Amino acid sequence: MAQFTDEELKEKVHDGFIVEYPEEMTEGYKKALIVQLLVQADTELISAPAYFGAARDAPSTNTMVSATAIIQDELAHANIAYRLLEDLGMEKEHLLYGRQPHEFKHPYGFDQPLENWAELVVANGFFDRAGITLLGDVYKNTSYGPLKRALVKVDQEETFHLRHGEMWMKRLCAAGGEAKEKVQSAVDWMFPMAIEWFGLPDDRKRHSGQLEYKLKGLTNDQLRQTWMDATVPLCERLGLDAPAHYDEEREEYVLDFPFPCQYDPDEKRWLFDEGQISWDDVFARWKARGPMNKSYVETLQEGRAFRDLLVAA
Amino acid sequence: MSAAALLEEPRAETRHLWDALRDVLDPEIPISLVDLGLIYDIALDDGTALVACTFTASACPCIEFIKMDIEERLLQEPDVTRVVVQEVWNPPWTREMVTPEGRKKLKEFGVAL
Repeated sequence: MAQFTDEELKEKVHDGFIVEYPEEMTEGYKKALIVQLLVQADTELISAPAYFGAARDAPSTNTMVSATAIIQDELAHANIAYRLLEDLGMEKEHLLYGRQPHEFKHPYGFDQPLENWAELVVANGFFDRAGITLLGDVYKNTSYGPLKRALVKVDQEETFHLRHGEMWMKRLCAAGGEAKEKVQSAVDWMFPMAIEWFGLPDDRKRHSGQLEYKLKGLTNDQLRQTWMDATVPLCERLGLDAPAHYDEEREEYVLDFPFPCQYDPDEKRWLFDEGQISWDDVFARWKARGPMNKSYVETLQEGRAFRDLLVAA
Repeated sequence: MSAAALLEEPRAETRHLWDALRDVLDPEIPISLVDLGLIYDIALDDGTALVACTFTASACPCIEFIKMDIEERLLQEPDVTRVVVQEVWNPPWTREMVTPEGRKKLKEFGVAL
């Protein structure tokens, strides 16, 4: 029997109450928290095989060490989030090895192949920035104590990933020529991908309870602005074209492309010319998953063979 | 003899370069490379700063960052036109190499040595 009604709990967390134990949750709170943690865990997890593909392209041994250290961090961060899910009655074993690729909850952006060093470092600069934007907000605002404490370390390490991305973007851009062109190509498909990652605009947002239960503090549109506030100036400094600009009158960043928009994963190209599409079209694309969904999940699940041998012994 | 005593006493002509590297923080914890004990020696020869520096682990993911940060900071000094960072693994870094100032800052940051 829950200690509080849903309304009581919503009011309490907004007055500063920190939830520590499952007994203090309502069904609604627990459900919203599980969804949030699953997205977080799966995103960290899938980023590992995604980054691994491009890390092989590292231009030096030291750099390979940095890239593989980032992959190691991502796996560890996933582990932290799955561990928190165990407190809520989920089984880590099942979450990792018992689900089909399409059941994982990471964003569509991580279903794409990262094919060269420039794509890896722009992913670090853009996607890890998205991660920090989202998790930084959760850290500041979450009403769930165990998650807040876990995020201190995660946040520190994600800052390193971001720095890795931005430093290498800078270096490749300074080299000019083909190196800079490759960064620009990566920006062209990853910028809108990150924008889409933040989800439905506020005026269309269905209530998931995350704000009401204070599992996060900022809305999707606010988070998108936070991301652009860091990313657009970065691109400007590096002489890269980013499809957004700051509108002085509106005092916010404005996109220079139809949003949402259709994406061609084979060509790695956004179909700006075809104009705005509906969010239902976006959900259909997300649901169909991207080209690497199956192989990334299968890579991670390969360990199951030896697990089974150990369990059988 | 403590490990810290192995380190060179800063020479007068490179003292300002040691001070400059006090501005360069470790990429993961907010203490300087000097206070962390990573800088073993700095020599200055005709505009070339030669920095002997180690890392906390041979697989430190930040080696590339640290080298670039050192270069970037020292090039701001008027008498430095070129920076050469030399990786040194002997003596290996140990926690005893953290300076008293570094220890204080680490403690504030929540890391016990």
